[in-house]
Amino acid sequence: MNCDLCQELMSDLLDGTLSREDQRQLDTHLEQCRSCAEVRNDLDSILGFCRAHRGEYEAPANERALWLRIRNTLEGENDLVAAKAAPGRSERHAGFWDRLTHRSWQFSFAQLTASVAAIVVVVSLVTVAGLRGIGNLIPKRSTPVERASTPDATRFVLNDRMSQQQQAISMWNARVEMNKARWNPQMRDTFDRNLSVIDQAINDSLRELSKNPHDEVSEEMLNAALNEKLALLKEFSEL
Amino acid sequence: MRNRLIAALSTISGAHVFSFLLLLSLLCFASVGAAQSLQHISKRYPAGKNVRLELKNVSGTIIVESWERDEIRVSATLESPAAHFSPRQMGDGLIIDVMGDNRGRGDVGNVNFKIQLPATSSVDLETKRGDIHVTNIRGGAVRAHVTSEGDINLTGISASQVEASNTIGNIFFDGEFARGGNYQFSSTQGDITIRIPGNSAFRLVAAAPTKKIALGQFWNKGFQSLGDGRKVVGDVGDGRSSVSVTNFRGSITFLRR
Repeated sequence: MNCDLCQELMSDLLDGTLSREDQRQLDTHLEQCRSCAEVRNDLDSILGFCRAHRGEYEAPANERALWLRIRNTLEGENDLVAAKAAPGRSERHAGFWDRLTHRSWQFSFAQLTASVAAIVVVVSLVTVAGLRGIGNLIPKRSTPVERASTPDATRFVLNDRMSQQQQAISMWNARVEMNKARWNPQMRDTFDRNLSVIDQAINDSLRELSKNPHDEVSEEMLNAALNEKLALLKEFSEL
Repeated sequence: MRNRLIAALSTISGAHVFSFLLLLSLLCFASVGAAQSLQHISKRYPAGKNVRLELKNVSGTIIVESWERDEIRVSATLESPAAHFSPRQMGDGLIIDVMGDNRGRGDVGNVNFKIQLPATSSVDLETKRGDIHVTNIRGGAVRAHVTSEGDINLTGISASQVEASNTIGNIFFDGEFARGGNYQFSSTQGDITIRIPGNSAFRLVAAAPTKKIALGQFWNKGFQSLGDGRKVVGDVGDGRSSVSVTNFRGSITFLRR
């Protein structure tokens, strides 16, 4: 048996779970090898201490000083390893990058919470700013008259809308004409008079728009008047 | 001489008696004819405090008033040719659809309604032609729509939703704007007058191409005048209710109550 196998079987030995054959070979090796015997003795004493105190240990006299010493030792070993790994680097370069990559930080819970909150705020602000930027890149929805920058284009948009409305108006008008013969003369007069008033309102708006194609109020009024006309035709077509 | 005078008088009396009898008979015929051309209907319906009345008329005047009783009384005068209608009561609602009940008949005479109902009712009134008067209603909603011509008078109204629209005719509103309420008034040719308490608070959008928009004491520097005075937008007070007024060929006037 060699030392490696001996140290592998050491835990089983101390737990008392080794087979008879393995224990015999291990005992033979321990009688011959002083270092393995010392390891067995150390482990045996540690286990004995643990069993005796059942997990209750006295704190070291100066716990903080102990941890500082441990940290200094670990950092010293890390620096040594880093210096061996990159012997040709300049002092300045190695100092910044290695400090950055090999450095470790310890934060309290409050510091961690504050850091996370700061990251969330920054990411949110960046996202909002980004979305606004994208929004500015997308052209805003404009009214048909706004889209039509020249008077000719405006006239085209208006004519287009008027022709669409005119189709609907023609359809309802045809229905009205079908039923109109059944109405009494008073109702016919009323309908004609009201249609005429709405047409006048439409013409007023069109006249204003021909003077000022970008007049939003006239555009609104034109739309409203066309809707009024459609509503009148629809409602009288029911008669 | 005396005998001749008596004879003359008796002759005149005979002519007068004949004329009188003829006139009387004509009046009798006329009154019988008039009675035959007009029908009166009156019906009562039990109702709770929160009633919803829906009335779709073809032609004629609609008068709606509140009263103290928990019932609805529908009185109607039907001109010849008389329209048919059968009110339907559904839950808290009463529906009178003259339009639907006479579809396809074409020519029906005016139906003039007078309806009395609890003050906390909501009313939705429509007619193709004729005036609409609503008085002292304090329910959730008041809607009065005249498709063509007819005046609309809404007095003593306190509802959170009010809509009044016609093509030719005046619109008069006398009432209060409720917090968070919505009020729309629209006419093509007629004057729109709104009479409200001085402490009313609302957001106003008023448009009249005639530029006849008079806000009186409700005008303030915060108002925005658009299109050379054809449209006015602004808040009165905290702007807690929304008011939209559109008049194509008439005026818009606000009065303090």
